[in-house]
Amino acid sequence: MIKWIKEFSKGLVVSNPIFVLALGLCPALAVTNTLDNAIGMSGAVMFVLLCSNMLVAVIRPWVSGIVRIPTFIVIIATFVTIVSLVFQAYIPALYESLGIYLPLIVVNCMILGRAEAFASRNKLSLSIADALGMSLGFMAAIVLIAVIRETLGTGALTFFGITLFTLPVLDEQPVSLFLLPAGAFLAIGLLLAVFRKWGLIKND
Amino acid sequence: MVLLKLIKRFYAIIFLTLVVAISATLLGLTHSLTADQILRQEHARFMAYLERMFPDMDYFEHEEELYVIYNVDDEIEGYAFIGSAPGYSSTIRVMVGLEDKATVKQVMIIAHTETPGIGDRIEDEDFTGQFAGLPVDRIYLNSDDVDSITGATQSANAVIRAISEAVEEIFKEQSD
Repeated sequence: MIKWIKEFSKGLVVSNPIFVLALGLCPALAVTNTLDNAIGMSGAVMFVLLCSNMLVAVIRPWVSGIVRIPTFIVIIATFVTIVSLVFQAYIPALYESLGIYLPLIVVNCMILGRAEAFASRNKLSLSIADALGMSLGFMAAIVLIAVIRETLGTGALTFFGITLFTLPVLDEQPVSLFLLPAGAFLAIGLLLAVFRKWGLIKND
Repeated sequence: MVLLKLIKRFYAIIFLTLVVAISATLLGLTHSLTADQILRQEHARFMAYLERMFPDMDYFEHEEELYVIYNVDDEIEGYAFIGSAPGYSSTIRVMVGLEDKATVKQVMIIAHTETPGIGDRIEDEDFTGQFAGLPVDRIYLNSDDVDSITGATQSANAVIRAISEAVEEIFKEQSD
């Protein structure tokens, strides 16, 4: 149990996929322009990571060494396609706004990384802990980036159609740079700097 | 014995084939479960746009690429068609409603993923509103009657091209 908690909590802070391992940066840069996109993306990533980690941990004894990576990719691609079909059928608005980045979860190195580095070497329960911790850490990170980018870039923050707050001056003159890719790099870079200097992240 | 040896020898191939076969089955299953819903969603979205454009619509008929909209009294309310053109970062799809076969009633952007804050200004009323009441043959790139958007030229021009190319195709076919 202690081990389970340890594997679960490491993804949240100590080896946060975005801020520490620097994995899965493509979606962190691409779909963090709005809060809705970030939540939708992290939901999809959580489902795919959980399913692929579980399946990889289960079939671990039978996986043939030389086709290990192709096997993992096929497994991940299957779950990603399932997610994108379900999104398209039931939440088409989110499907439209995530666009190409939804199918691109296949090549999200965080998911293949966890399958290869963790799930293929650990038993099912620990792999579930790892997947949950990592995807929650991923969610926390990209939601944080999205909140900063959307607030600065539009002067307001909306959550699936509900306006959470509107800033007085920024509303009139938003820094739309933050909605662009350059703004994503800036936001991630500054957050990383802050975390390295004052945060919980230790540079070894 | 020979079989066992063969399996052992080609284990990797057999294993991966199995994995892919299972994956394909799963995907086929998901597809058959979601296909209807996806079609329904697309149809519902299309109808919602048509109804917003023609509030008195009762039903519509296809005339090649052109939709003819009728009201409850079987009178023609107007026409509509869909055009698309590549913008800056996505394919932009527009729905164009016509009063009669020569005059634009309304233009709606129905799908795009242009840059937020820049390219997505093509959705603004300031831009789409200018097409209302314009004769279809006045809509083309660099037309005197159509303004582009400063800083979002590619996105705006794609909208104009989507309309003018669709107009050309539909009305050329009809005059033939």
